[in-house]
Amino acid sequence: MEIGLAHYLTVAAVIFSLGVIGIFLNRKNVIIILMSIELILLSVNINLVAFSAFLGDLVGQVFAMIILTVAAAEAAIGLAILVAYFRNRGTIAVEDINMMKG
Amino acid sequence: MTNLLVVEYLPILIFLAISVAISAIMVGASFLVAKQNPDPEKVSAFECGFEAFDDARRKFDVRFYLVSILFIIFDLEVAFLFPWAVSLGDIGMFGFWSMVVFLGILTVGFIYEWKKGALEWE
Amino acid sequence: MIVQGLAFYMFAAILVASAVMVISARNPVHSVLFLILSFFNAAGLFILIGAEFVAMILVIVYVGAVAVLFLFVVMMLDIDFRALRSGLLRYLPIGGTVGLILLVELAVVLGAWAVAPEATTGVAAPLPPPEITNTRAIGQLIYTQYVYLFQASGLILFIAMIGAIVLTLREREGVRRQNITRQVSRRREEVVAVRKVPTRGGV
Repeated sequence: MEIGLAHYLTVAAVIFSLGVIGIFLNRKNVIIILMSIELILLSVNINLVAFSAFLGDLVGQVFAMIILTVAAAEAAIGLAILVAYFRNRGTIAVEDINMMKG
Repeated sequence: MTNLLVVEYLPILIFLAISVAISAIMVGASFLVAKQNPDPEKVSAFECGFEAFDDARRKFDVRFYLVSILFIIFDLEVAFLFPWAVSLGDIGMFGFWSMVVFLGILTVGFIYEWKKGALEWE
Repeated sequence: MIVQGLAFYMFAAILVASAVMVISARNPVHSVLFLILSFFNAAGLFILIGAEFVAMILVIVYVGAVAVLFLFVVMMLDIDFRALRSGLLRYLPIGGTVGLILLVELAVVLGAWAVAPEATTGVAAPLPPPEITNTRAIGQLIYTQYVYLFQASGLILFIAMIGAIVLTLREREGVRRQNITRQVSRRREEVVAVRKVPTRGGV
């Protein structure tokens, strides 16, 4: 029952795939799409930390910190855009966003 | 190292188990012991109270959202401060000044939001 | 060892299950709550392999801030979420296919995979000895050797702050704000006028 690197990578792969499926599944709801992106970033973090622990290299955890920062900033800006869009249009349906096309 | 980890986190695990057990007992006991005899007058809101069973979603003001975004930013700033504070003796003056630059950048942002009035609540 | 194996399987199972619930829950509030649960379990996984600092930051930043932000937005926007879910089954086949293909590809990669022998030799920063804590070791790296990344993340936070203010702050007309400086610094001559009122004359 030795837990190795492959176990962690498998979990990360499953989470990544779930995030991608979530983007396809909830094509109309931007909030769930943003949450799926958070899941994908979480799987990347699991990969980085697992490699960092099993290869004995601390840099992976430093990168995980940076990814956390980027993910938080992305969520903040994404939701701010969402709020501004909702204010102008009264909906958050994704298929209406293409009206900016010329 | 791994056995050490389990030993170190054992108290937390025990705390977790105890807290889950206690809260389950509290909720369960209130279901089992209390007399439940609801009637419309008893469960309706009293004077200025909220409706007891209502749609929990009501419109918030956008300013709450702005405050929570700014909270995230400063939360991350503090998160970066922790390892700095722990390892300040090892990283020397360079590490000290790199954190000062980091804080300076965020202070510029803080001044901007203050001048912009994002923190005011008329 | 056996405790660790059990803990790993428990955390991983709850993580995957709650991730499934995030993308399939009917109510977005439930999605957010399951997202919080999945982040907690990911933090548990991180603790199991000794990355304590990243685990704690994950809990503080994600559960404490990002999830609350999502919750605010879900509560704030008055949206009919039933309508948004209407096309769910229409996209299920293609979404499921793409996800499955991706998973199979990742499984194929994982199946025929081994750590290259030179991967363990070119270690940039070896894991610290047990008497140095994880947080301290990260601190020794991040502010000196990786200072550019650190400053870049500071700039990202700065931009996020400015962007959020620009996008969501809206000046309201006709709202009286308290201006403390003006309030404190006003003088008696500006605001008080002493008039001599003649008897029966009025002002």
